[in-house]
Amino acid sequence: MESLIGLFEKLLGDLGHADLAGTALPLAGAYAVCIGTLLGFITVYAMFAIWMERKVAAHMQIRYGPMETGGWHGWAQSVADALKLLFKEDIIPSGANKVMFWIAPAIVFCGVFAGFVAIPFAMGVQIADVNLGLFFIIAIASVEVVGVIMAGWASNSKYSLFGAVREAAQVVSYEVPAAVALLVPVLVVGSLRLGDFNAWQEQHGWLILHNPFAPVAALIYFIASLAGCKRAPFDLPEAESELVSGFHTEYSGMRFSFFFLEEYASMFVSSALVSTLFLGGWTLPFVNVSHMPPPVGAVVLLVKIFAMIFVQMWLRWTLPRLRVDQVMSMGYKYLLPWAFAAVVGTAIFETLGWRWLPL
Amino acid sequence: MEALELYAVDDSREVYTEELKLNLGPQHPSTHGVLRVELKMDGEIITGARADIGYLHRCAEKIGENVSYLQFTPYTDRMDYLAACNNELAWSLTVEKLLGVEAPERAQWLRVIVCELNRIASHLIAFGTYGIDMGANTPFFYAFRERELILALLERPSGQRMLYNYVRPGGVAHDIDETWLDDVLRFCDHFEKMWAEYNTLLTHNRIFIGRTANIGVLPKEVAIAFGVTGPSLRASGVRWDLRRDVPYLWPYGELEFDVPVGEGTHGTLGDCWDRYWVRMREMMESIRIIRQACRRVPSGDFMDKNLIKIYKSPIKPGPGEAYLRTENPRGELGFYIVAAGGTSPLRCRARGPSFCNLSVLETLLPGCMIADGVAIIGSLDIVLGEVDR
Repeated sequence: MESLIGLFEKLLGDLGHADLAGTALPLAGAYAVCIGTLLGFITVYAMFAIWMERKVAAHMQIRYGPMETGGWHGWAQSVADALKLLFKEDIIPSGANKVMFWIAPAIVFCGVFAGFVAIPFAMGVQIADVNLGLFFIIAIASVEVVGVIMAGWASNSKYSLFGAVREAAQVVSYEVPAAVALLVPVLVVGSLRLGDFNAWQEQHGWLILHNPFAPVAALIYFIASLAGCKRAPFDLPEAESELVSGFHTEYSGMRFSFFFLEEYASMFVSSALVSTLFLGGWTLPFVNVSHMPPPVGAVVLLVKIFAMIFVQMWLRWTLPRLRVDQVMSMGYKYLLPWAFAAVVGTAIFETLGWRWLPL
Repeated sequence: MEALELYAVDDSREVYTEELKLNLGPQHPSTHGVLRVELKMDGEIITGARADIGYLHRCAEKIGENVSYLQFTPYTDRMDYLAACNNELAWSLTVEKLLGVEAPERAQWLRVIVCELNRIASHLIAFGTYGIDMGANTPFFYAFRERELILALLERPSGQRMLYNYVRPGGVAHDIDETWLDDVLRFCDHFEKMWAEYNTLLTHNRIFIGRTANIGVLPKEVAIAFGVTGPSLRASGVRWDLRRDVPYLWPYGELEFDVPVGEGTHGTLGDCWDRYWVRMREMMESIRIIRQACRRVPSGDFMDKNLIKIYKSPIKPGPGEAYLRTENPRGELGFYIVAAGGTSPLRCRARGPSFCNLSVLETLLPGCMIADGVAIIGSLDIVLGEVDR
């Protein structure tokens, strides 16, 4: 971000408008570039992820999935679907609260979109190096719940309402074990800035191997993030066989695709967190990635992220769905105590200065 | 009703929420057709349920009174369209009983094989769709893989993939080709391996057991009182199978097979998991039956010769009536015919297993959560084509 602002200031000076460099203009330009890049990245990523999901699902279900559109293994299927959704009629149910119905997909998307800002993709490739990056992502991701509740309520449909209420209960409950589990890496590294986790792991090795409690925390966070992303087996808010389509039953066309985009974007953010906090982020063991050009680090991180996303898809197409009370009891009775235990264990470990592995 | 008191809503709670009326269906992904269930909801908990049927009513029984006996056979296919052979069998046997004829021996054994193959195909659908009801989409495709083989096998003698019109009064429509029996036996070997795969995929999954065990418990007495039959009755611990107890097709009396009943393996006797597991084991019993039957198919006529002659002009059974019940994949299917000497029956009625099994829904649903409601509807394995007829 800072380097971009500097770039714009220099550009203005070169164009003979050095007097404008002190105004908000360079900042606005930098913002525009960042947002444009991110939007483009999320759109392309989501299309790829949807294609990947369909392929993963198909091969697990002894099918091929899309094979025709675009030629090679139906690679353009998502593009075609996105175009179709874009051109569909924008339907708002007559009984719906129009303003809330209209604004809900935007809120849902913004919450996840903002999370991308703090992800360190590689050494120095990060839009905002927020001091409290981890805290920022957890906090901003909760905004999504508000949008989902608005969508469910505004739709004026009972199934949507059920989905929204389930979402509220589930996501709020699972944020607790997720946040507690994330305290483990924070305790070890002693920082909330996401870049520091990469630097620490470059030096000391992957955090998941640091102490016996770290894998537990990683697993708890992963499970909780599944619930946060509404992925199976926690896809209760949209439970197809029970609530038809949950909170987005009444949505169609582009608005529906925003919910779709949001699901895949939040999968990316949670996988990026797991990768950054536990699996070394853009660093690799035995190789000093920070001395290589940034694209290498970005590729390393993306490979890790897509591995995590593949696991999420794998689970979705294997497991049945839990029931509402089972989801709640799992969160509060199992995940939360274990998360606390992991935090306490890590604290003891750190205080005594033990090392599990000679890393 | 004791069972009703068991599920009575606890009035001692302090927090009350407004009662919500929820229409489950007729356009809903997991009502297995066009069933509409009117639910009264207290939050996620169902407090009252009323099943509303009739969205697929096609006047099948009335049609039966206007077409000839032979013409009605394809209509029975369309009642329980997942087990067409079994429906044809029930109709054909009833007409034969009315006429006082019996199909030739070869036809009898072929009927056993096609009906058991069809039973497996039907239970495979029950297995696959139950997985979808539970949120696991993958087992469905594995079930369809093997079902496809059965459909291909049944297509060879009948020319049809789903609604066969194969079993007819007097025998079966066509003879089988030379390698058919060998292929059926090969399928049996293949299916046994695949059946083990289904169990690793869904049956013993912890989440699946957690979702189905102790849910929708149907006590033995309630099941009998509501006239529940088939796997749903056997899952409640009643060892009652018409194939064994009233061999409506005499080859069944000469075959060796078990009648699986529910054992309450993971919870209470007669819960959703028991109903599911009874169906799974019945598939293996059907394989056992098919194996034995394939070795015993004699050569000879596949259709009663006298009847073939009569078919050239419509049959006219004399005044009289006949009722016969058979073991459909879903339970007891019976046809009741009153004949007055004309070319078509004076009265024609069907006693459908899905219809009777569905009646227990209103007792089972109150007190459980909406997700359990879906589990219960799925575990009863109803086909709306036969409920509404």
